[in-house]
Amino acid sequence: MIDRLLDAARDTVDGADALWRREEQTAVAFESGRLKAAGISEEAGLNLRVLAGGRVGVAGTTAAKPDPAELVGRARAAAELGEVVDLAFPGPAASTLPRIPTFFDRTANASLSELIRMGRLLVERLSRPDCQVNVAVEREVADTAVGNTAGARGEYRATGIAVTADLTRIAGDDVLMVYDQYVGADMPSDADLEALVRSVETRLTAALTIVTAPDGSLPVVFTPAGLAAVVLPLEQALSGKTVLQGSSPLAGKVGETLFDTRLSITDDPLTPGRPASRPVDDECVPSRATGLVERGVVGRFVYDLETAARAKTQSTGNGRRGVFGKPHIGYTNILFRGTDGAHGGHTGVLGGGLIGDIQDGLIVDDLIGVGQGNVISGAFSHPVGLAYRVQRGEITGRVKNAAVAGNAYDLLKRIGGFGTDGRWLGSRWSASLLLDGVSVASR
Amino acid sequence: MKDRLAAAVTQSRADYTEIRVERTWSSAVAFRGRRLETATVSEDQGGFVRVLNTGCGWGIASFTSLDELPAMVARANELSRAVRVDDPIRLAETPPQLADAILELDGDVRGVSLAEKKQLLDRYNGAMLAVSNVIVDTQSSYRDEVSEVWYVNSEGTSLYQLRPEVVVSGTAIARRNGTIEKGLESIGLRKGWNSVQNFENQFRVVAQRAVELLDAPRVRGGAYPVILDNELAGVFIHEAFGHLSEADFVYENPQARDMMTLGRRFGKRVLNVGDNGAAQGLRGTLPYDDEGTPTQDTPLIKEGILVGRLHSRETAAKLGERPTGNARAISFRHPPIVRMTNTYIAPGKKGAQFSDLIGDIKLGVYACGAFGGQTMLESFSFTAGWGHMIRDGKVAELVKDVVLAGNLFQTLDRIDHIAGDFTWNQMGGGCGKGGQFPLPVTEGAPHVRIEEALIGGDV
Repeated sequence: MIDRLLDAARDTVDGADALWRREEQTAVAFESGRLKAAGISEEAGLNLRVLAGGRVGVAGTTAAKPDPAELVGRARAAAELGEVVDLAFPGPAASTLPRIPTFFDRTANASLSELIRMGRLLVERLSRPDCQVNVAVEREVADTAVGNTAGARGEYRATGIAVTADLTRIAGDDVLMVYDQYVGADMPSDADLEALVRSVETRLTAALTIVTAPDGSLPVVFTPAGLAAVVLPLEQALSGKTVLQGSSPLAGKVGETLFDTRLSITDDPLTPGRPASRPVDDECVPSRATGLVERGVVGRFVYDLETAARAKTQSTGNGRRGVFGKPHIGYTNILFRGTDGAHGGHTGVLGGGLIGDIQDGLIVDDLIGVGQGNVISGAFSHPVGLAYRVQRGEITGRVKNAAVAGNAYDLLKRIGGFGTDGRWLGSRWSASLLLDGVSVASR
Repeated sequence: MKDRLAAAVTQSRADYTEIRVERTWSSAVAFRGRRLETATVSEDQGGFVRVLNTGCGWGIASFTSLDELPAMVARANELSRAVRVDDPIRLAETPPQLADAILELDGDVRGVSLAEKKQLLDRYNGAMLAVSNVIVDTQSSYRDEVSEVWYVNSEGTSLYQLRPEVVVSGTAIARRNGTIEKGLESIGLRKGWNSVQNFENQFRVVAQRAVELLDAPRVRGGAYPVILDNELAGVFIHEAFGHLSEADFVYENPQARDMMTLGRRFGKRVLNVGDNGAAQGLRGTLPYDDEGTPTQDTPLIKEGILVGRLHSRETAAKLGERPTGNARAISFRHPPIVRMTNTYIAPGKKGAQFSDLIGDIKLGVYACGAFGGQTMLESFSFTAGWGHMIRDGKVAELVKDVVLAGNLFQTLDRIDHIAGDFTWNQMGGGCGKGGQFPLPVTEGAPHVRIEEALIGGDV
C-alpha cells in the first residue's frame, strides 16, 4: 500500500512519506468481579505527508480501499496553505535497522479463553467482601509500515498487553480507590501478576486507617505513580518543539547542571519487551536512545523531522504519527534513573525504602488533576488522590483532604533519595523519589 | 445505509443486536506561534456492533472496513457466547424509535474552504500575539466536523442523526525570564461556520490575563470561603457531583448504592442540579443517545436532596429505574457508557446577585475560569484559570495557581449562596471516562459560593 501511495505521489510532489498501520485489539472486562464483556476492534489507516513547493501538507484515511490519487490530492491541497519547511526525508538506512524484539508469539496467539483465565485469576486473588474489583485485559497486535520517496523503508510487527486491576472500597462516605497495571509486549509471567496483586494489596492495607493530614513544608516520597506531576513539566520542557517556541524553561540550558547530579533521564526506544519500543520511528528514522538529562546536566532535546529541520539539528527518532494529522514529537520509553546503583525490584515496599528518616511527611501515590495547571512552568498544585502519612519512619495511615504543591525544577535540584522500587508504569520507568520542602495544605 | 444495517441485524443469530455506523467529515487548522502547524481535511468512518444473548455477556466488535459488517456481527455473537454470566444482563424497555434527526448546521463547514478557516484562526491567533511582546508562544486550533450516525437495533429502532460541531481554542503563553503563565480560551458549539465568527476580543483578553499573571503572586494554600464564577462552577458540578450521578458507578456496587441513595441530602435548599441532553442548541445536546434512547432533562438534586441519576438501558434495568438517554460513545471505536450531556446548577433566587455573595466575606478567594478538573469520586480537583483574593467584601488582587481540592459531601453541603446570573459555558475539549475522550459536554451555572473550601499552595 505504501509503495503504491508513494508512487502516486512521486510524480506530482517534491517528496513524500507515509505510514500505514493496522491494529487488532482483543479485550475482556470484568466488572465488580464478574466477566461482563468481550470485544475486538480492527482498524487500518494510512497517513501521507507531501512536500510540494517547499510546503508541507498532510492527509489521512481509514477507508478500506484508499484511493491513492484522492489522498495525494488532499495532501497537496493542504500543502498549498502550509508553511515553508526545509524538510529532508532520510534515505535508506546505511546499515540494517536496529534489531529489537517487538513481537511476541505468546501475546499474539493468546486465545480469548487465556485472556479470560488471566482476568479471572486476578479477580479471585483480589476479591474481598468489602471491595469491588474491576479487571480489564487488553491485547493488541499492530503492523506498521513506513516509507518515503527518498527510498527509506521500515516495517515491523508489535504486540502489547495491558492488564489493569482496580479496587474500590466504600465504607460509609469514604471512597478508596487503588489501581495498578501490568503493561508489556510479552505476556505477564506468574511473578508479574503476583507483583500486581501484591502492589494493590499493600496499598489497600496501608490505606484502611485514616489519619489527619499534616501541614507545612515537608519531606514527601513520590511513588512511581505519584511522580507524574513532577515529571510532566520536564517532559514538556525537553521537547524540541517547546524549545523552538521559546516556552521551554530549559531552552539554552544544554550543558548546564540544573538537577541533582544523580539524576539521569533517557528516552530509549530500544528497551526490550516494552510496547513503545520500535526499530524505526514513524518518519523512517532508525531508533536510538537519547540522553535528555545526564547526571543532572541538560543533554539533548527530542525532535521529529520537521522540528529538527527548523532547529537545524538531527531528528532523534521521536517522530510519531496517527492516521490523521501531521507527525509530531513523542517520547518512546522514558527512564528516570539515579546513578548511585540499581533501584529496581522491590516493588512490594510502599515508599521504596525511603521513609526511615522521615519524622513527619507523606507518601504520595496519586494526585488528582495532573496536567491541568500551568504545567510548563514547573509549578504544580494538586489534591491527593491516594497518599499516606509517615511519622517517625512509619506509615501511620491514609490522609484525605490534603493538597500538595511545589515546583518541579526547585524540587529536583536536590533529591533526598532514590527508592529501591523502580518499575515500569506505562512507558515510564522510575523509582520512588524523596523530595524535600513540598508544600502540604490540609483542612 | 439503514437498510443495509437492518439486513445485518436480521441475519444476526444473537438475541439482541445493535449496529452503529459513523461517517465523519472534519477539517482542522492549527497555529503554533506565528506558524501554521496544520490545515487538513479528514474523513473517518467505521462501524460498531454490540450483541447480547440470554445468560451471556456483551459481545462487541468495532472496525473500519464496512465490507466486514456481516462477519463482524457473527464475531460479536461468538464473543458474547464466550462470556457466561450468572446474573443476566437486562436492558430497560424503550419504545422503538424511527427518525431522521438533523441538527441545524448553521453554516455547513463542508462548504467553507480551508483557506477561509486558516484566515479566521489567523485572526484569533494574531489577536493573542499582538497583546504584548512577552507573549512568546501560542497554540491555536480550529476544528469542525459533520458526523453522520446510523443506528439500528433488533428491537425496531432505526435512526439517522446528523451532528455538526465546531471548536476554536487558543492558549497564550507569556514568559518573562523564568516565569511562564498561560491564558486559555475555548469555544465549542454543536453548530457551524456562522457561529464562530466574532471572538477576537475573547482571545485578546486571555492573552492579556497571561501577561498580568506574570506579576501575580501564587495563592497561599489553606481553607477559605470561595466564590466560583459561572465557568468554574460548571466544571465543579460536573466533576464534584456529575460523575457520581452516573449510574454505572452504583449499579453493581451495594455500598455505592447506599452512599448514593435517592432521598439523601447532599446540599442546602438552594442547590438544584440536573442534566439536560435535550436542551436546545448546546454542545452536549443530542436528540437520541447511542442506544437510541431519546434524551431528556433529568433532575439530579432538588432543593438539596438527591432525586435522580443518569442511566443507560442496562443500568436502568438493574436499578429498576427509567433510561435517561445518557448512554454515549465518543465514536464507533467505543461502546456507549453512561455519560453526562449538559449538566447544570440551576440559578438561585431571581435577582440574587454577585454582590449578595461577596458582601460578608472578610478574606476569601474568587476563583475564575477553568483549566480543567478531575474526579476520583469522593475527592476531586478543579483548576481555575486565575483568581482574585476577596478582602472585606470586595474583589482584590489577582492571584495564580488556584487549585481547589474538594470532597464531594463536604463541599456540596457548604454551598450556601447561588446567584441568579446563570449562563451555559460552551467550551471545546470535553469529558474523559473509561478511555473515551473527549466527549462533547456543556456545563451551566451561575456564581456559586462555598462557605469553606481547601485551596492548594504554599502554606
